[in-house]
This record gives sequence, C-alpha cells and structure tokens, in this order.
Amino acid sequence: MSVILSVAHNELRHLVRSRVALTGLILVALLTFAAALTSQAYQADQAALRERLQHAADEDFEAQPNRHPHRVVHFGHFAIRPASGLAAMDPGVEAYTGNMIFLEGHRQNSANFGDARQSSLLVRFGQLSPALVLQVIAPLLLVFIGAGMVAGERERGTLRQSLLAGVSGGALLAGKGLALGAAALVISAPAFALLLWLGVSSAARLSAVALSAGGYLAYLAFWTLLIIAVSATARRSRSALIALVGAWTFAVVLTPRVSPEIAAALAPLPTRVETDIAVQRDLRAMGDSHNPNDPYFAAFKQKTLKAYGVERVEDLPVNYRGLLALEGEKLTSSLFNRYSNQAFAAMEAQGRVMDALVVVSPTVAIRRLSMTLSETDLFAYRLFLEQAEAYRYDLVQRLNRLQATAVTAADDAAKSKSASAEARSRISAEYWRAMPHFDPARPSAADVMGRALPALAALLFWVVAGALFAAQAGRRLNRSAA
Amino acid sequence: MTSLLREARFLLSLRSAALAIACLFLLTAVAIGAGLVEVARQEAAIARIGPQQKADVAAVAAWASKGRDPGDAAYYTFHATWDPPSDLAFAAIGTRDVSPYVLRVRALGLEAQLYEGEIGNPEAALPGRFDFAFVLVYLAPLFVILLFHDLHSGEREAGRLRALEASVGSTFGFWGARVAVRGAGLFIALAIPFLVGAAVAGTAAWKVAAVLTVILAYLAFWIVLGLVVARAARSSLANAMTLAAAWMALTLILPAIGHVVINSAIPLRQGMELGVKQRTAVHRAWDVPKSETMNAFFRTHPEWKDTAPLTEAFHWKWYFAFHQVGDEAAGDLARRYHDGVLERAAWSERLGMVTPGVATQLALHRLAATDPAAQIAYQDGIRAFHGQLRRFYYPYLFRDKPFDRADFDRAPAFQPTSEDGSWPGALLAGVVLMTCLVGALGVLRSRR
Repeated sequence: MSVILSVAHNELRHLVRSRVALTGLILVALLTFAAALTSQAYQADQAALRERLQHAADEDFEAQPNRHPHRVVHFGHFAIRPASGLAAMDPGVEAYTGNMIFLEGHRQNSANFGDARQSSLLVRFGQLSPALVLQVIAPLLLVFIGAGMVAGERERGTLRQSLLAGVSGGALLAGKGLALGAAALVISAPAFALLLWLGVSSAARLSAVALSAGGYLAYLAFWTLLIIAVSATARRSRSALIALVGAWTFAVVLTPRVSPEIAAALAPLPTRVETDIAVQRDLRAMGDSHNPNDPYFAAFKQKTLKAYGVERVEDLPVNYRGLLALEGEKLTSSLFNRYSNQAFAAMEAQGRVMDALVVVSPTVAIRRLSMTLSETDLFAYRLFLEQAEAYRYDLVQRLNRLQATAVTAADDAAKSKSASAEARSRISAEYWRAMPHFDPARPSAADVMGRALPALAALLFWVVAGALFAAQAGRRLNRSAA
Repeated sequence: MTSLLREARFLLSLRSAALAIACLFLLTAVAIGAGLVEVARQEAAIARIGPQQKADVAAVAAWASKGRDPGDAAYYTFHATWDPPSDLAFAAIGTRDVSPYVLRVRALGLEAQLYEGEIGNPEAALPGRFDFAFVLVYLAPLFVILLFHDLHSGEREAGRLRALEASVGSTFGFWGARVAVRGAGLFIALAIPFLVGAAVAGTAAWKVAAVLTVILAYLAFWIVLGLVVARAARSSLANAMTLAAAWMALTLILPAIGHVVINSAIPLRQGMELGVKQRTAVHRAWDVPKSETMNAFFRTHPEWKDTAPLTEAFHWKWYFAFHQVGDEAAGDLARRYHDGVLERAAWSERLGMVTPGVATQLALHRLAATDPAAQIAYQDGIRAFHGQLRRFYYPYLFRDKPFDRADFDRAPAFQPTSEDGSWPGALLAGVVLMTCLVGALGVLRSRR
C-alpha cells in the first residue's frame, strides 16, 4: 500500500513540476468552473423566463371578457415547458426541443422556439456545460497527462529500475492510476460542486445527484484505467498517445455522431406535413362534419336523441352544437394521439439503436445516464408533450361542455346573423377563471431510475473491463522485469 | 520531382502513415455516403408530399365548392411550401435536421404558422450529423497532427536526422517534398470522396472549386501550425500534445464559449413573446367593434376601403382582416426575432475570423445554403408566398365573388427560391490570415 502511495506521490510531484501539464489541469478546471457557472446562470434565467411567460399566459386566459365558449377554444392557451432540476449539469436535448406550445381546439401544434433553431451554427459544436467538459474534454486532457506516465519511464529506462528494485507492476500501475485519478478529480471538482449545490438548493432529487456523480466518477475511472493500461503496454509514449487519442476520437466523437445516421436509416420519421395531411384524411374517412348526410354523424345524432329520449334536435335540453364539438374533438384528438404515439415509438426505436452502441463506447452510457438523471432526455420531453396534449384536450372539452350547457341552441344558431343573439351567446368570464392551470409533473423517480440503471450497469461493465486490462498490463510488467 | 516521387514511395512504405490516409479516405467516403442518403431522404419526403397535398386540396374543394364561399376555401385550404436541399447539402446538412424543410400555410395569420417545428428526434440531433463538414472540421486536423507532429523530431529521435540531411542536396527541398506529399495525401483522401459525391449530386462547378479551396485552406492552416510546433524542436510527444491541445481549444472549447457569449449577448426572447402577442391581438377582434378592426386593416390596405360595408352578420372578410391586423401587431417582434437570428449568425462569422475551424464550418454551410441565413431565407420565401395567398383570396372575399371548383387550381403555387449559397470570401480570408499569422509567429520564434 505504501508503495502505491509513494508512486502516486512521486507522479503528482512530477505533474506539478511539469508546467505544461499543470497549466492544462488548471485551465480545464477553470473551464469546468466557467461551464458550471454559465450553465447554471442560463438555466436560472430560462426557468424565470418560462415561469413568467406561463404566468402571463394564465393571466391572459383569465382576463378574457365574456365570450362564446368556442371563441375561447380558438383563443387557446400556452403550455410552457418548465426547466428541469439538473439541466444546469447536463442540458441534454433542451436546445433541440421547443419550449412553448400553443394549445387550441382541433389542432395539435408543435413545440416551438427551441434554441438550436434560433442559434448560430456554433450550437453544433456542442454547448458549454459541465456535462460536455466531463464527457468530452476531461478524458482528452487525461490522455495528454497520462499517455507517457509509464511509457515515458520505459523510454528513459527508469521503469526497469523500479521493477528491478522490487516494485510490483500492479503496485506501480495502481500508484500511477491514483495520481491520474487525482488529476481527474481536480478537473471535475467544480462540476461535482455544482451537482451538490443543485441537490441542496433546487428541486433535483438527491438520488439523481448521487447517481449522476457516481456515473461521472465511473466514467473518469474508466478513462484513467484505460490510459494507464495503454501507457504500460505501449513501447513508446508517442504510440501510446496516438492510440489513446484514436480511442478517444472513436468513443467520444465518432460513435455518438454515427449512431443517429444508423438509427435514422432503421426507423425513419414522417414529416409534420405528412402527419397533418394523414390526420385530415383519416378524419374525413371517420366522419365528415361538413356533410349533413354523413353516416357517422347521422348515427351520432340518433344515439344522442335516443339518450335524451326526444325525437328532434330542437327538443334536446342541451345545445346540440356543443355535443357535436365534443364528439369532433374526441375524434381529432384520438388521431393526434395515434400519430404522435407512432412518431414517438419510432424515436424510441432509434434511441434503442443508439443506446446499443454502448458496447463500443462508454460515452454512449454516460450520455444516457446523465441526460436521464437530469431529466433532459427524450423521455422527459415526451412526458411534457403528452401532458400538454392531455391538458389541451381537457380544456377544450370543458369549453365544449359549456357550449352544450350554458349557450342556448337558438342563440348559438343565430349568433353569426344577429348581434343580440351574439351578445346572449357569450357566457360569463367567471368560467375562464375556474379553468385548471397547466402544471406538468416531472418524470417519477421510479421512471428515472428504471431508465438510468441499465446505463449505469453498462458503465460499471466498462470500468471492470478497464480494470482487467490494467491488471493484465501490470502482470506483463512483472514478466518483462523477470 | 524525383524528391517528390521518392517521398511518395517513402510515405506508402510507412505503414502507419498510409493507414492514416486510408482511414481518413474511408471516413470521408462514409460521411459523403451518409450525406447523400440524408439528402435523398429529404428529397423523397418533398416528392411524397406533392400528391398527398393535391388529394387534400381536392377533398376540401369537393365540399367547399358546393357553398362557393371564398371564406371556406381560404380557411380550410392549406398550401404547401418546401425548401429543396441544394446541390451541396449532402456535404453539410446543417440546420436541415432541426428546422422544417416542408411547411403548409393557409391565408390566416402567418405568425402563428411560420415557426412550426418539425417532428424530429432531439436525441439524434444532439450529437450532430456525420457529414463531410464534420470530417473536415473535426477529424482532418487530427490526421494532420498524426502525420506532421514527428516530421522532424521523428527522424531525430530515430537518430537519422543528421545522416538524412547530409544525404539530400537541399534540406529545404527535402522537407518541402515531405510536407507536400503528406499534405497531398490528406487532400486526396478528402477530395476524392467529395468529388464523387459532387458528381452524384450534380454540384455546380464553382461550388466544387470553392469546397476544394476551403479544404486546401483549412489543411494548410493545420499543416503550418504543425510545422511551427515541429520547428520548436522538442520531442514528438510534446509536439503531439501541443497540437492536440490546440485542436481541442480551436474546435471544442472556443466555439462552445463563443456560443454561450453570443447567445447571452443577443437574447432572443421575442420568439415566445411573439406567439402570445399575435394570438392576443387576433382574438381581441371578437370583443371590439368590427369597425375598429376594419379601420386598422384599411390603413395598411386602402385598396379594399370602398368595398361593401360590414353588417351585423358574420363576414369572412372581417375574419381575415383581423388575422392580418394580428400579424401586423406582432410585426415588430417578428422583425426583431428575424434580425436577432441573423445577428447571432453574423457574430459567429466574426468568431470564425480567428477560429479556422468555425470559419470552415460556416463556409461549407454557407456554400451549401444550410445555415441559419438559409433557414431565414426560406422563412422569407414563405412570408412572400403567404402574401401572394392573401392577395389571391382577398378579391373573392372583399368583392363577394363566389369561389368555384376551378378557382382552387388558380391559387398561387409555391416557387422555392433556389437559395444558391454564396462564395464565403471573408471566412476563407480569415483562415488564410490565421495561417499567415501562425506562420509568421513560427518564423519569428525560430529567428530568435
């Protein structure tokens, strides 16, 4: 044990003395710090902005004067995506999703004003966040610092001296690994501090904070082990460096980029225009509300008359137009849900293909783990969209029910001809104030854990693989000395 | 010439170098292939929509032409717009995977329709595309580093340097040939797959020439940087580390910092506010006297002032007028949003002047017309087309002209403005300038 510590101590002293390595360490630690700071400031700003906008939208909705309920169906409402707990750590897909949806009757609008669409092309270089630094930049810096740790000693001949002096290969590598691990902790400390701060100060779950920190530790541990093992195996530090930069490029840069291409080919998505047209087509096939003789709506009329025990629409105790609106919304909404489920099923199939590449790159695992725990993945986004749609449907149907019960059939029929009927068809503004607010739930802890654990397991698998590689490299060192 | 040939033979005999060039060739070929597949997918989607859209309009016409009411026609008919990929889009997909390239609009308020998003998998968009631009900007410099970091020091460390320099006539010619051959190897690995892709896509010759120039300029920057670092005459390891650190700073860190700075310096909150404002302005019309709306409308559209006055009854012309008034109320926010997106892009170009990776990325996307400016140009095209739609429907609405079946075919059809990209002169100049700067710095240092 003391041998390991003394190797680590020596290595750290060497590291501090080497100006280049120390500068690199300090710069990247500062970068992590800056990333944590700006990312947290940005998210706080976004959270405040979105809360303000949602509040303003609620006020606008409630400030409507007396209106015909169908006017309110078209006035609609806005659902704004609240910021999620650990988004400052890993903004995930935040920039690539819209944040605001206009909710109205008969239509399902898209979430608009995502950041990627309104940013310069720079967004495609990756967003500065602690996640970017830890996933992408930190491993490369560790490669620079660690590639020569063992191979350099081999070149200088000091490796053989140490081994002959009785230091075991395993202890030597453990010591070097310890030193490199310490460097990794220095770089990532600001990110862990941010995680801790978010855990204490915000709505983030402590389990997510702990697992996220554990995941990043495992990820950095994997790179530390790999670097030491490659450095111990390579004959020269230059070839170790080239091999490691190659591995980094493959795992961190290449694989995450290639995976969407594969996924898109295997599970293509329709365009929104095609979906819109298909919804309209299916709707016409189900029943054409513009056609007075349409069989679907004729049957609906018969069913309604029977339910109320009357012969004619005029004898209904409620406003038939309101009932028609309820039925129409039910039809369109079922189609919206069907097509949106299809699109999400395709996206999730794509996600499974992309996640499968975890077998060639641990970066795929840490990305999945980090995004899931930060609630900035597709799953969390889908949850928001589905809750917005459910809210839209509920709101519109409440208004349609008001049209059926609070507006008389006679006034409703005459409102576009006569100003007095139009005035009578308006119902009290009190009704708008009684409508529920949009208050989306976050993904449940169980959902988040269920999606995070496979990624964590994959990450631990990579750590074990790295440890086995390093152990083997240690044994080879012993053999080479003997 | 003989020295070049000798170097070429030497390069091929060096297994690692030949392997690296083959690897870059392969990556470029895969990226070009992926780009062509993506462009074909987008073209197929655009082609698919044509007949579907026709059937949709026919179905609306089937019932709306019975009542001959132009309001029904204008309200229920959607009109397709599309933004076909340019002949260079395969090399730089750009924003085409996050913003729609097909959008349907109707003659109602445009501001509520223009910003509609596309069905896309955000998790697939997040890492970015594997296209030619990515291979050139990110991966090619790593190969330059691989081939150039030990140009000098490798021979010295192998103990051959003195013998080598003594055996060749001119050391300058010798190293020049070595640099030229290695650079040419990389250039060919990038250019040949690109040229094949360009032939398949039928890319305009001037764009092909421009892309080759961009490749040359960007490779030259990294090669000059490599030589400057190599001249510092340290170990191969130190050279490789310095160059890789420069790569990390120039292609990862500086652009990411630039993005944060630009987006916070030019906040674009107008987007979300615009949506709310337009909606409120449109619906206000139901609660104010109709004359108020119509007067506001006539101020910008005096040509309809003398049409029949509104009565108590609902009239579509009032409905379309208040949609237009709503758009105009949000006009200022829409303009600021539009300008804000372009301003962000302009600042990214300024960053490109000192960051060759950014400049190269922007230059390729400008040429391919897949950058935010092209996206805005498509939106401007939709805006113009929407104006045409309004001008088409308004005479029917305001003069109570019946709208017949045949009138559906008279509606204006969208003509995609073939946004042709432009020669990225300033960005190229930036790359060349930075190359000269780095070269001059190297010369100064070696003099000292």
